[in-house]
Amino acid sequence: MAQSRLTTRRAFFPLAGAALAAGCSRTRRANSAVFIAKAASYTADLARLMESGIQACGLEVRGKNILLKPNLVEFDPATAINTHAAVIAAAFEVFRKLGAASIRIGEGPGHRRDTLFLAEEAKYRESLSGFESFFVDLNRDDVSAVKGFADREEIYLPNTALGADLIVSLAKMKTHHWAGATLSMKNLFGLTPGSVYGWPKNLLHQVGIPRSIVELNRIFRKTFAIVDGVVGMEGNGPIQGTPKPCGVLVMGPDVAAVDATCCRIMGINPAKVTYLQMAGELGHTEESHIEQRGESIASVRTPFALIEEFRHIRLA
Amino acid sequence: MPAPRAVSKAFLRYRSVASDYRQARLARLRAAQNADGGWGYFPKRHSWLEPTCYALLALHKDAGSEQAWRRGWELVRSWQLADGSWKPSANVATSGWATALCVTLHCVQGLFDQPFHRGAEWMLQTRGSEGSLLERAINLVRPLPVEYDRRFKGWPWHPETTSWVEPTAHSVLALKKSAAKLPGAAARIEEAERMMADRRAKDGGWNYGNRRVLNVDLPSFPETTAIALLGLQGSKVVDLEPALLLAGRHLRQTRSPLAKAWLGISLRNFGRDLPPPAASEPGDDLLLAALEALAYPQGGHQWLKAG
Repeated sequence: MAQSRLTTRRAFFPLAGAALAAGCSRTRRANSAVFIAKAASYTADLARLMESGIQACGLEVRGKNILLKPNLVEFDPATAINTHAAVIAAAFEVFRKLGAASIRIGEGPGHRRDTLFLAEEAKYRESLSGFESFFVDLNRDDVSAVKGFADREEIYLPNTALGADLIVSLAKMKTHHWAGATLSMKNLFGLTPGSVYGWPKNLLHQVGIPRSIVELNRIFRKTFAIVDGVVGMEGNGPIQGTPKPCGVLVMGPDVAAVDATCCRIMGINPAKVTYLQMAGELGHTEESHIEQRGESIASVRTPFALIEEFRHIRLA
Repeated sequence: MPAPRAVSKAFLRYRSVASDYRQARLARLRAAQNADGGWGYFPKRHSWLEPTCYALLALHKDAGSEQAWRRGWELVRSWQLADGSWKPSANVATSGWATALCVTLHCVQGLFDQPFHRGAEWMLQTRGSEGSLLERAINLVRPLPVEYDRRFKGWPWHPETTSWVEPTAHSVLALKKSAAKLPGAAARIEEAERMMADRRAKDGGWNYGNRRVLNVDLPSFPETTAIALLGLQGSKVVDLEPALLLAGRHLRQTRSPLAKAWLGISLRNFGRDLPPPAASEPGDDLLLAALEALAYPQGGHQWLKAG
C-alpha cells in the first residue's frame, strides 16, 4: 500500500464526480470507496494500514461508540477460522487513536457456547490488556425486538449492537460451503443472540442464508468493514477449509462493495454470489461503481480453491 | 498413628475447600439476584429464564437460600405463556426451549400441577421442523449435504426450526423425570434418543447436532457431549460406554470452564468418581457459577438425574 496515493486526484475525482451525479439524480448513488492494503503477515504494522484505509474512505470516528465485531467461530490451532488477534488489537488501537468515545468487542459464536473460552483460545485475551472489560458475549446480551426480518414480524437483537454508533465488521476472508464466501456481510450473523435463537442460530438458515445476510445488513446500516485476508481460508470453509495466505486487508464503509472486492481478489465472481445479487439496495457490487484505493485488485489477486458445489462462481 | 491422621487432615481440608467452592458460588448467585427474582447471564443485566433455572437448581434445598429460591420460582411461574411454554425473558415473547428446564424444576419439587402439565404437553407437541415428505424424497434421490436420518425428530431451540442436540437432551431429560405423570412421553423419548444416536459424531460424542457435512466427519464438543449424556441416562437405544470414556477424556483435556462444569454434572450422575474442583472464586458469568455449584460433589447435580 502506498499512502501517497490517497491524496492523488485519481482517488478523489471519481468520488466527487459520483457525489455530483448523486446530486443530479435521486436514483443514482455515489461510488463506493474500497481500500486494499498489502500485509504480508500479522507482524506487519496493521494499525498503520487500517488508519490509512479509514482515512482514505473518509470515515469519521471521533466521539462515536464503536462495536468491533470479529469473526470468532470455533478454534482449531491448525487452521485459520477466526479473525486474527493481531487484527483485533490493531483495530482497537486505531479506533481509540482516532477518538472513539467507547470501543466494545462483541461476538456471538454460532456453535460453541463458551465465548470467552473461544476468545482465549484465539488469543484475543492475551492480545488486548483488560480484554474482558470491553468484551460482550452477544449470545447472552440483553435484547430488543426489531420489527421486520424477511417474512418474520420481528427479530430480537443485542442491545450492545443496536446501541452502537458504528459496527466495524472485522471479518475473515473465507470461502463458505453454503454461501460461497463469508466476508463482512455474513459476519453479522454473529449479532443474532443464541439466548433466543440457539446454537446454531437456525432461524437464519430457515429464512435462507443469503436473505438473512441482506436483512441483517439492512437493519445494521452504520457499518464499516475490515476484512482480514492476511491469511484467509479456502475450500470447505468456514471451518473445515485450508489456510490461504492472501496478504491483504480490505476496508470500506460500503460492505457490499468490500465483499464484492474481496470476491474479485479471491477469484470469485460477485455477480454469482447469491447474497451479493440481493444486496443491491445496500451498496455497490459492480466494479464500475467501486472506487479502488490503495493497492489494485490485480496486484493482490489470489484465487481461492472452491468446493465442487461452488465451482460455478469462479471468476472467468 | 501419624499417617491416618495426615490423611484425615487432608480430607478435611479438601472438604473445607470444596465446600467453600460451592458456597462461594451460591453466595454469588444470591448476591446477583435481580429485583424481579430472576438472574441475568451476568450481574445487573435483565433476567433470563435459562440462568434463572440453573440458579434455582443450584440453590434448591440449600439452607439459607430459601427466600432467594422462592422469589426466583415465583418469577419462573409468572413467565409461562398461554400455550404452556415458557418465554426466554421478560421482553422476548416467544416460546423457548428452556421450557424443558421449567418442567424439570417442577419434577425436582414433585410439583405435578396444571402449569407442569401444560408445559409438558407443549413439549410433547413440539418437534423439529426437519424431515418433511418433500425433504425426505429429495434426500432419497440426491443425498443432502448434511447427513442425518430425517425420520427422527428431537426439539428445536426456537419454534419452527430444526432439532438440535442440546434442547433435545434437556427435553428428553425433562420427559424422563415426568414419565410417571405423563403416559404419552415414552414414544417421544424413544424417538429423541434415536435422533441423538443418529446425530452422534464419529468420535463417539456430540456437537451441536451435525455429525457429517459435505462428506466430512465433524468432531464432538465436550459440553454438548456432557449434555447429551444427561439426556440419554438410562437409554436402551444408545451404548453410552464409549461416550462416557470420551467425556472423561474431554474433562481431562478441555480448558473451557463451561465444558468442565457440564462434564462434572454429567459424569457424577453416571457415578464417576471425579477429582475435586480446584479452588477458585466465581466470576461474573452467573450461568457458569450455577453450573459449577451443581457440578460439585453433592452440589445439586442429582437434580438432573433421570427418573
